[in-house]
Amino acid sequence: MHELVEFAVEKAQELGAKYAEARLEERKGIQIAMKNGIPEGLGIETDKGIGIRVLINGGLGFASTNVLTKESVFKAVERAVKLAKASSKVRNKPIEFSEEMFHEVYYEVKMKKDFRDYSAEEKMEYLKLIEENVLSSGINVPMRFLMYRDWITRKYFVNNEGAKVESVIPRVVTAYNLVVFEEGQIEQAPFVSYGFTGGLEKIEEIKPWEKALEDVRVLQKLIKEGQKPPEGHVDVVIGPEVAGIAVHESVGHPYEADRIMGREAAQAGESFIKPEMLGERIGSEVVTVVEDPTIPNSYGFYLYDDEGVKARPRYLIKDGIINEFLINREYAYYLGIHSNASARAINYDREPIVRMANTYLAPGDYTFEELIEDIKLGVYIRNFNEWNIDDRRYQQRYIGREAYLIENGEIKHPVKRPILEITTPGLWKSVDAVGKDLDFYTGNCGKGEPMQGVPVWMGGPHARLRDIVLRR
Amino acid sequence: MFDVNEFILKKAKELGFGDVVVLGYETDRRQVRFANNEITIAKHWNYKKAQIFVEYEKRLAATELTNFDEKTIEETLKVLLSSVKSMKPKEDYYGIAEGPFKYKDIPETFDKRIVELDEPNVYVEQAINAALEEGAKRVAGVLYTDHNRVYLTTSNDVEGFDEGTGIEISVRAFVDDVASGHGTSSSRVLDKFDPEFAGRKAGEIAKMVQNPIEGEPGKYDIIFDPLAFANILSYMSWMASVFAVEAGFSFLAGKIGQKIANEDIVLKDVGNMPNGYGTRKFDEEGVPTKETTIIEKGVLKTYLLNTSYARKYKTETTANAGLMMPRAWNMYLEPGDYSKEELFQEVRKGIYITNVWYTRFQNYVTGDFSTIPRDGAFLIENGEITKPIRNIRVSDNMQKIFENIVALGKEIYQIHWWEVDTPAFTPYVLIKDVGITKATK
Repeated sequence: MHELVEFAVEKAQELGAKYAEARLEERKGIQIAMKNGIPEGLGIETDKGIGIRVLINGGLGFASTNVLTKESVFKAVERAVKLAKASSKVRNKPIEFSEEMFHEVYYEVKMKKDFRDYSAEEKMEYLKLIEENVLSSGINVPMRFLMYRDWITRKYFVNNEGAKVESVIPRVVTAYNLVVFEEGQIEQAPFVSYGFTGGLEKIEEIKPWEKALEDVRVLQKLIKEGQKPPEGHVDVVIGPEVAGIAVHESVGHPYEADRIMGREAAQAGESFIKPEMLGERIGSEVVTVVEDPTIPNSYGFYLYDDEGVKARPRYLIKDGIINEFLINREYAYYLGIHSNASARAINYDREPIVRMANTYLAPGDYTFEELIEDIKLGVYIRNFNEWNIDDRRYQQRYIGREAYLIENGEIKHPVKRPILEITTPGLWKSVDAVGKDLDFYTGNCGKGEPMQGVPVWMGGPHARLRDIVLRR
Repeated sequence: MFDVNEFILKKAKELGFGDVVVLGYETDRRQVRFANNEITIAKHWNYKKAQIFVEYEKRLAATELTNFDEKTIEETLKVLLSSVKSMKPKEDYYGIAEGPFKYKDIPETFDKRIVELDEPNVYVEQAINAALEEGAKRVAGVLYTDHNRVYLTTSNDVEGFDEGTGIEISVRAFVDDVASGHGTSSSRVLDKFDPEFAGRKAGEIAKMVQNPIEGEPGKYDIIFDPLAFANILSYMSWMASVFAVEAGFSFLAGKIGQKIANEDIVLKDVGNMPNGYGTRKFDEEGVPTKETTIIEKGVLKTYLLNTSYARKYKTETTANAGLMMPRAWNMYLEPGDYSKEELFQEVRKGIYITNVWYTRFQNYVTGDFSTIPRDGAFLIENGEITKPIRNIRVSDNMQKIFENIVALGKEIYQIHWWEVDTPAFTPYVLIKDVGITKATK
């Protein structure tokens, strides 16, 4: 199949492409679902195809096909070339790509427990464990939707500037939705996911069945003992999961160069961040936000992006100062810098666009006890259900699922649905202390048109926010 | 592709599978994306795929084939069989529809001119120019053309073929960073496609957003533009699926026969809607698509079902297969009798919301959610738009939203864009006492 990729790049150049890339992707995997104790069935994923992207006269064209013959691939190349030429006529300024170092490289993520060697029923055992744990808790959980998925992506990327990058990346994920109904009240833990690159060993290390049991116990306690959160100005301690969603939504997204430059305006939106804001203060001195695709076994893992550029950690915010954007070759050229390898595509039939991988609030040096010890009245928001943010990434909200009152430095009773509704500078300038722990959570980040849901991690330590008015 | 379908079916039966469904797809899709008044990329997708659904003694499996040589087909089916054999049965599986069925052509679902359209960029330029003429400075969006062929074969004597086209555009216009408007046009036939309308509407709204003030929290009477309410209906379409109901993703659970909306509300799923972007002749097990009333005079009448779920609940299928997961085709909210002007005149103090995004739930089963207005939002005082406002959030409950609908416009608009997956036909909607919140810091 490698020759088909090289053939595509060669033909694109013959047809006049200044820049040409081709990406072959083959994906194989399995998906299993269980609803209320009954196996829903299994889906076997087998997908293979090639995507070709070309730049001609400053216009960009993309075509893909899953018919992997020379004839069909050549037709796709012709289409991409034709589209690029037509697009170039409706441009004021030609698109150009930054110059980058390219490599010929092969890399793969090894599995200790290779999921290809296990049957669907053996994988179903993980879901059964969740089911058994939840049912044996004695808690009424009338709705239970459980999901397991694994897939392995083999990718071969070639461009006409010397990149030949081949990778093999397995991913595995479990997810559950659990609805607790007690005392006439309903509480829910929806879409709780644990995802990794690697094999089944990662699922067995994290033990989602233990997490599920903990989740339903917390929901029951919330129903039985939960009270309203306090009114007025309080201090708030957010857990790693809340820190994770907050850095993802209000730091990662607004620092995506394509949003900043307006390319996603009609879909995911733009950004309140502008190129000239580099170097400006956006948070307190204890806030550093890192974006790192290279974390081993992370769900967002890659070593080379889908433009063939070598990945590295990106420091989006350093000590409270806007430090770096997520950027691909198109916008790196525009800003006169190099790409930091942020271009990702979910499959052969999607163009690479600027994406996050694994985003986290960098740890500080506080223990959890130190974070809460001087709080007279506050709320600890451990995790969240509802969240959203406006399309400029300025005004967000996170509603706690598991949350507790903090009184005179101690954790007290659960509080129901504390609502942190806050602007982005308001949030990051309120952080005055950051824990020394670090934990990651799994997400499927949506962006692009057609939608490209990419696997990501988001996380951080516990962090303390001063002087917040929570909604209730 | 019927020869491929027949071969898959024959081999599957030979291996001992019970119910078998093969859905062959041939797809040609083009996209032109634009931003800052210029094309950012143009794309073409060409797919040939066969989706296979098989049942073995109540054990279900599905896969998708992209390679149709006999060896690949046989190997794939053997993998499906060995995988599925080891599983426990889905005890609540009750089979697929019995054919044969007769299918009627649905008007306005195919237009040869869209297939033959060589160069769609002219429509992009029309939309951009219309928005600029209204006063926009920057225009972004996306145009699609679609040509699909579907070939259905099942083990229950069903064979169906459907060919459809479509063209649609979504346009967002900006006067400055915070002054924007959005318009769309979706059609299955070229004559009813109106890129200028989409561009003009986006430009008009953007132009109205001059010096917006901060919105204030409270309860307001809200007029939802069709673009905004379509987002709510798109979530409603998922929540109406019996799958979502059972899996804990729907506030409709346990509410059949109950009043869940204002008594004037009639909400349907219409699979055979002429010119509907989601319209198909048959569902994924071959049942001819039809009109299904989900809410009648405010009362929840049915969930969306396939044959298996219908048998489980001892009723008839609503022709919404999805074999694993029933799904809506086109949501249709019946119009009222208000003109747009009359609707605004009903409002003493309220807000006109032209678009929303990022709808998320704190609790799917209770229906507590919030969604964020984007593009123009405007204060209405004594029936008139007085000021643009910004930085607000709709924070409420799905059932309450439907219960509090007090008036509906008389014109219907088809909405289908990045934020609205299931096409929705909706008028302007006036809802009283909607919760509005904003950031506290």
